[in-house]
Amino acid sequence: MSDAQKTVITLICERAVEVNVDGGGACPDVPGMKVIKFPCSGMIQPLMIEAALKGGAEGVVVCGCQIGDCYYREGNRMIRERLLGDRPPTMKKGTDRRRILALWLARPQKDRFISESKEFIATLGSLAAPEAK
Amino acid sequence: MQKIVDNHPLKAFNSLTLTLENITNKVMTSKYNPFYYHGALPQYYLWVLYLSGLLLFAYYIPTIDNAYFSKNLVNAWTSVDYITKSLPFGGVIRGIHRYAGDAMVITIFLHAIRVWFTDRYRQYRWLQWVSGIVLALFVLFIGQTGYYLVWDERSLLLTRMTAGAFEAIPAIGPGLKTWFLNGDQITNLTLSNFLFIHIGLSFFLLFGLWVHYLRMTRPVMTPPPAVNYILTAFVLICVFLFPINSGQMADLNTQPSSFEIDWFFLFPYALLSQMPVGAYWAVMVLGTVAITALPWIMIPKQPEIETAEVVLNKCTGCSLCYKDCPYQAIEMVPAPAGSRFKLLATVKDFRCSGCGVCVGACAFDAIDLPDLPDAEVNAKIKALLEAKG
Repeated sequence: MSDAQKTVITLICERAVEVNVDGGGACPDVPGMKVIKFPCSGMIQPLMIEAALKGGAEGVVVCGCQIGDCYYREGNRMIRERLLGDRPPTMKKGTDRRRILALWLARPQKDRFISESKEFIATLGSLAAPEAK
Repeated sequence: MQKIVDNHPLKAFNSLTLTLENITNKVMTSKYNPFYYHGALPQYYLWVLYLSGLLLFAYYIPTIDNAYFSKNLVNAWTSVDYITKSLPFGGVIRGIHRYAGDAMVITIFLHAIRVWFTDRYRQYRWLQWVSGIVLALFVLFIGQTGYYLVWDERSLLLTRMTAGAFEAIPAIGPGLKTWFLNGDQITNLTLSNFLFIHIGLSFFLLFGLWVHYLRMTRPVMTPPPAVNYILTAFVLICVFLFPINSGQMADLNTQPSSFEIDWFFLFPYALLSQMPVGAYWAVMVLGTVAITALPWIMIPKQPEIETAEVVLNKCTGCSLCYKDCPYQAIEMVPAPAGSRFKLLATVKDFRCSGCGVCVGACAFDAIDLPDLPDAEVNAKIKALLEAKG
């Protein structure tokens, strides 16, 4: 796989950190990142993350608002607990957790999002290539 | 699909709140950020008020003259004086009761401002907003009756002003005044009535809070202990820096004309002293109605909520969405005859916020937001991955 083909899928709450997205769903600030927005990060299913990894994504970034602050009260806490395995439904055991990054960032923290996700993509490069299915 | 996220009228205030909270998060971490417990802060002060009030109640005598004793003058004022000066730590308890009340008003105000700025008071949350306004009004009135109870000159003046303001209301006014004074004029019975209003209505607050918490799954009622210590410290600092003292004992034969004002509770009286009583009531009623109506008038065209829909033939009745829904919008009903499962999830549209937490909770793709079904999300993920591959 060449570098150009690597894709990282970001599943993000539309009220969390403001990420620029072009018409094709790509984020111009972070090369290789594709973004899907949700009304709340609590809507993200573990199944969706697994589907993205199975479909050949290099990694998945899950992003919600700061823990403690959710427009819909508890959404980010829910997906956080699901990722940690404390609340059903949880991730499948075989999922490569090194390829999942959870970020909890408020609307003004755009710079932090860009730097964290760039660092994450750099780390992904050092991991073995995911098994293509 | 860009809804009201970026164009609600208080967008600038929302950014301000989030930026401010970002700073407090850096200092205190999100776990101890008091802004994330803004609703629980007044609730904590309510417990402080109940406890300190119980201790004051043990020594308070609700009367204005020697109704119970013959030798020395014993009345509300002297009993408060006894609590403050002779009882060990009595002055501290009284100070805590006063300043916790002030702190409760401040935290209620912060709570209301935050939900307003962050746009969290409309539509499916109207019940919280309206019950919150009612609760705030009751807290104000309870606090004011507390100022009548100490029975110094300020109490007398406030009592007369309130009775006059009640009397001016058409039709129900004279009745209200008789209820308030427990008779036609100020007597011993008046103070026992004040004590009853003060304590009785504070327990009504619990009923109001029950309504306030309705539809909220797992309401945040208790701040973490560390935050509680800080809240208590604020009150104690005030108690020791600015000890509470009563004014002169009230004398029914005099007419005090001015008093020191506590702006948190007594601001309506400042208004009342500045304008005719009719105008005062007009301002009060219109102000209250306007604030209560905010959820409906603030945003003229409310966005339509895309409520969640259950896919009937996929639902297994596992109750996960029912447990996770933050607004108690999902009800588990018995499954129709012939179903393989016992229960079926149903959505109460009037409570649903369209947040999609139920979608995240469902392992069977059995509940969907109509404008973003999970099948579509998965298709989108696939399309994005294939776009470059």
